[in-house]
Amino acid sequence: MLHWQDQPLSLSTFLGMVIGAVVVLGFILFVVMYLIYFERKVIGWMQNRIGPNRVGPLGLLQSLADVLKLLLKEDVIPAAADRSLFMLAPIIAFAPSFMVLAVIPFSATHVFTAGLNVGVLYYIALSSMTIIGVVLGGWASNNKYSLIGGMRSGAQMVSYEIPLGMSLIGVVLMDGSLNLNQIVEQQHASHLWNIIPQILGFCVFLISAVAELNRTPFDLPEAESELVAGYHTEYTGFRFAFFMLAEYVYVFAMSALGATMFLGGWSGPFLPGWLWFGIKTCVFIFFMYWIRATMPRIRGDQLMSFSWKVLMPLAILNIVITAIVKVLL
Amino acid sequence: MFGFLKGLGVTLSQIPKKKVTLQYPEEKPQWPERFRGIHQFNIDTCIVCHQCARICPTSCISLSGHRDENKKMRIDTYDIAFEICILCGLCTEVCPTEAIQMTDRFELAEYNRDDLYKNMEWLYQNHLFYTKSEPTAVAETAEDTAGKVGDKA
Repeated sequence: MLHWQDQPLSLSTFLGMVIGAVVVLGFILFVVMYLIYFERKVIGWMQNRIGPNRVGPLGLLQSLADVLKLLLKEDVIPAAADRSLFMLAPIIAFAPSFMVLAVIPFSATHVFTAGLNVGVLYYIALSSMTIIGVVLGGWASNNKYSLIGGMRSGAQMVSYEIPLGMSLIGVVLMDGSLNLNQIVEQQHASHLWNIIPQILGFCVFLISAVAELNRTPFDLPEAESELVAGYHTEYTGFRFAFFMLAEYVYVFAMSALGATMFLGGWSGPFLPGWLWFGIKTCVFIFFMYWIRATMPRIRGDQLMSFSWKVLMPLAILNIVITAIVKVLL
Repeated sequence: MFGFLKGLGVTLSQIPKKKVTLQYPEEKPQWPERFRGIHQFNIDTCIVCHQCARICPTSCISLSGHRDENKKMRIDTYDIAFEICILCGLCTEVCPTEAIQMTDRFELAEYNRDDLYKNMEWLYQNHLFYTKSEPTAVAETAEDTAGKVGDKA
């Protein structure tokens, strides 16, 4: 039951899959709760504030209180909205964000990881599907601000998907595999994390990941100063919580992907694998919060050209250099 | 590029610094000397000249008085509707005997509007709280008005 990935599908292996999925879902809900708490704390510290500190000891239950509040809120569906699409959009946005976690190697034993031999491609493809949910949410709200926010989000995410995918191709070329488990094992065997030979690809990945997640400095779709709240202007309560959940699950998933591809995932000395994975993912997440506390929002007219004219050539250059070096060595 | 790294350095260096947050309900800031909070009212010095009621821009002060055996005006009722009071301090400025003054209290949250209508006893208790002086000519003590005084009695 524990080694379901290298055995034919039977009832017991299927049961192992289901149990694994439920465990990962519970784990990810817990992680998202504390991602939000951690974000508010870190940004508070950087602004000389304490951050949440009232609900529970050290404010640890603040996110829980926020979630419960959201679930108790009235679920408003605007009269003029496209009802079925409006209800479908948060689901379409969230489902892929949870599905991408299937290929993340959390630990060296791969209990909760599908050994998919196109893992990287699977991740990129699924994370593109969230764009549909976002654009649908903006469209179905029947509200000009939601629509503008949704279109902006869609344009931005599509543009930054490309450098994101291309920055990962360098790693794939080096390790000769799209399987995330094998990529980690390669790094583990060679005692060299991919961030060192792939530093250019890593920089491109970092920038495109932040932009892909619609986080500051690329948070134009949710610019409160310009749009009301972007594509979730009309969303309330449970559905709004779903969008937020999708956003934060992606923060975790993107950080986990970065830690896997560039920082050697679970490989590391002394500590157990899952702890190494956790530490590296946390470094990534912390960096995103750090950027958020530091950078102002990028200007709208620079957003697209930055993706197409700066990141794209850099990513292609990285692929070319990687290919040449791989042939010569 | 280096400016970007410099900015990151600035934000990171803030983390160990002392936080400026004040745990508000437990500890309060030092209010300025002339902070205009809600009023205190001294019953003994008021001469019922109505100047405060006249100058009040929102007409939130209503008062009445009578002439006692020494031909002195004594105050009977003095009410401030804090629902509409804008804490401008004009009543304090015009008061010839400084009977009405402002304190540094400002927390007046109530569950209904009627509770924001404060009477003379309440304002006088406020005065006692802030001056720590002995009540002199007035019969009302803290026991009679405990229901209206709140936690400041």
